[in-house]
Amino acid sequence: MKLLIFYSYLFLSLLIANPAQAETASEIRIGSKKFTESVILSEVITQHLQNNHISAIHKDQLGGTRLLWKALIQGELDIYPDYTGTIIYEILQGEEISSDADIQAALARHGVSMTSPLGFNNTYALGITPSTARRFSLEKISDLRQYPELKFGFTNEFMDREDGWPSLRDHYQLPQTAVRGLDHDLAYKGLEAGSIDLIDLYSTDSEIAYYQLNVLKDDESYFPDYRAVILYRTELKDRVPEVQTHLTQLGGIISETEMIKMNSDVKLEGLSEAEVAQSFLNIKFNTLSKIEVSTRLDRLITTTSEHLFLVCLSLGAAILVAIPLGIWGARNATLGQVILSIVGIIQTIPSLALLVFMIPLLGIGGPPALVALFLYSLLPIVRNTLSGLTGLPIDVQESARALGLPAAARLRLIELPLAARSILAGIKTSAVINVGTATLGALIGAGGYGQPILTGIRLDDTSLILEGAIPAAVLALLVQWSFDFAERTFLSPGLQMKQESTS
Amino acid sequence: MIQLKDISKSFNGNEVIHDLSLEIPQGKTVVLIGPSGCGKSTLLRLMVGLLWPETGNISLFQEDLSRANVEKLRQQVGFVLQDGGLFPHMTAVQNMRLMADYLHHDPQNTEQRIAELCDLTHISPDLLGRYPSELSGGQVQRVALMRALMLDPQILFLDEPLGALDPLNRVSLQDEMKTIFSQLGKTVVLVTHDMGEAASLADLIVIMKDGYLLQYDTLSNLSSHPADPFVTEFINAQRKPWQQLEDQIK
Repeated sequence: MKLLIFYSYLFLSLLIANPAQAETASEIRIGSKKFTESVILSEVITQHLQNNHISAIHKDQLGGTRLLWKALIQGELDIYPDYTGTIIYEILQGEEISSDADIQAALARHGVSMTSPLGFNNTYALGITPSTARRFSLEKISDLRQYPELKFGFTNEFMDREDGWPSLRDHYQLPQTAVRGLDHDLAYKGLEAGSIDLIDLYSTDSEIAYYQLNVLKDDESYFPDYRAVILYRTELKDRVPEVQTHLTQLGGIISETEMIKMNSDVKLEGLSEAEVAQSFLNIKFNTLSKIEVSTRLDRLITTTSEHLFLVCLSLGAAILVAIPLGIWGARNATLGQVILSIVGIIQTIPSLALLVFMIPLLGIGGPPALVALFLYSLLPIVRNTLSGLTGLPIDVQESARALGLPAAARLRLIELPLAARSILAGIKTSAVINVGTATLGALIGAGGYGQPILTGIRLDDTSLILEGAIPAAVLALLVQWSFDFAERTFLSPGLQMKQESTS
Repeated sequence: MIQLKDISKSFNGNEVIHDLSLEIPQGKTVVLIGPSGCGKSTLLRLMVGLLWPETGNISLFQEDLSRANVEKLRQQVGFVLQDGGLFPHMTAVQNMRLMADYLHHDPQNTEQRIAELCDLTHISPDLLGRYPSELSGGQVQRVALMRALMLDPQILFLDEPLGALDPLNRVSLQDEMKTIFSQLGKTVVLVTHDMGEAASLADLIVIMKDGYLLQYDTLSNLSSHPADPFVTEFINAQRKPWQQLEDQIK
């Protein structure tokens, strides 16, 4: 038990020493959602603050509205851009709101302030291909009522938000039932391939022009305004007073055309969000800032070190905790069942859900990802330690006792060395799973190989996806080989021969 | 040397040893024999504290066996299992010196003791660097015997030590064991179901059936004054195949 306390202490102190936590208190953290426009806007905000000599960092593509909002009110983030419609129907759901002043007042109760709109309105719209439009002669949303057979593909967020599909359906009395949720960036592909007939769009999407989509007219004016605004923690006014001034400067600065242009520069022209934001700011504020474009190698070094940090620390902690748990469980069958059930249940929690659960406790970035990976690594090691120890041949167990070795010495000299193959196999399984699961860390800002994968999916850029996926696969193989090597090196030859003769 | 008083033992509510008392004198080789399931192996395990009786008590060297002193007493006895019970991750010599090293005995004395034991059991010292999986059945049993004798215990317990060997190996190791036991003058308790083995090795024989001790005596007394018809039956049953074999050859 003392050992367990020691290990958890060790683990916690390692967490606190984590570099992601070591940011200076005055650094302003700007978050963005998992879609291009949000990343561009946050990049504009970040660079604008940096140009004005304020230390700011962009935590990009963290997730959806709920995650960003939670991180903002908990102080994990200081600033992120959002849309008035989203704020009213998603964040302030259920409150009586009829004006911007109402929004301001409601936000103030959470310690959050809102800037004036940035200029453009990015509302939801429904898009179809020209051929579908011709075939069914569709012009307005109300036209959809006559064609219940049409297949809709909506973003998961649109599927369940209050101003999304359910109330749109009720508003227009739409009969369609073939409706499924999918990623926004994949929706265009589905539309092009003909597997779906209609998708939800953002009106500033660059793809509308690129795919020459028809946008259905909102003839019964259902969709509310989605004017872009910046949300920030009110206490920022005291902490770094000049921030508010600079945020105000961004009011009314981006027109709808400019936003569509920036989106298409990133998604279609292949420029980085940072470059696009930089040239936009240079024009608007006559600055001459130059951002450094990172090379593929630079990115690989960064993501590799982030990934290794996540894997090594979480796996190391899991080994230190899981082996004693397995030993403990092997001593007592009932206790062993209880321990196995608990770590088994942890394993069944979907990884995304576990990551989100961690945010209220540990914020965003490295710590929640480390804890989640640590928890996922427990089961294979605990199970293999336990089964390795309880499965030892009875004659070996008896002769160890008959020699007069005390329990602790039996464990150290006989039982653990004999169970080593099984324990090592458990650690290997954990390590390989860990390397794969760690890619999800990017969703909550922990970086790693998931970062290029996430960006690659968003930008539909295969080479970027591979920039994360290939190193992750290589790392998994290296882990596998190094454990095979360790097995040959450290395992007693007596046990390896036994394996050969029985296999 | 070993005293068992009113011992009974149950597994899952079934009593397998019934109120059994037995005294084993110093320096004698006593063989526990009987059909499968008679409780002979259980009795042996009770004597080293691998199992604990429900009632009665056991003493070794005039000392009552308890959980408090069991590890100390085990270090003063040797134990050999049917399959040797060698640790597969250690070489033969590592198996042998495990306890001596654990108890921090002088390494020089240990080396010397290993050499003595090699002479005694006719094992070539070259074999000692091998792992158990590289040794033959007979060699494994010899190493197990050497490991048991390493700390020069006063008592040696053997659970069917020849049971897993082929007939040729069996006979040669049986002869060697006979010499070793008489040379060393140890108290030996050996479990077997083979009457020939018992006849060759035992000073005294315990015949058991269904958890009861039927008779405890010398072979000639068992044969001339059987305490129970089963004693005669058991002895004769084992003679029969030999007689048949000899008749056939003639």
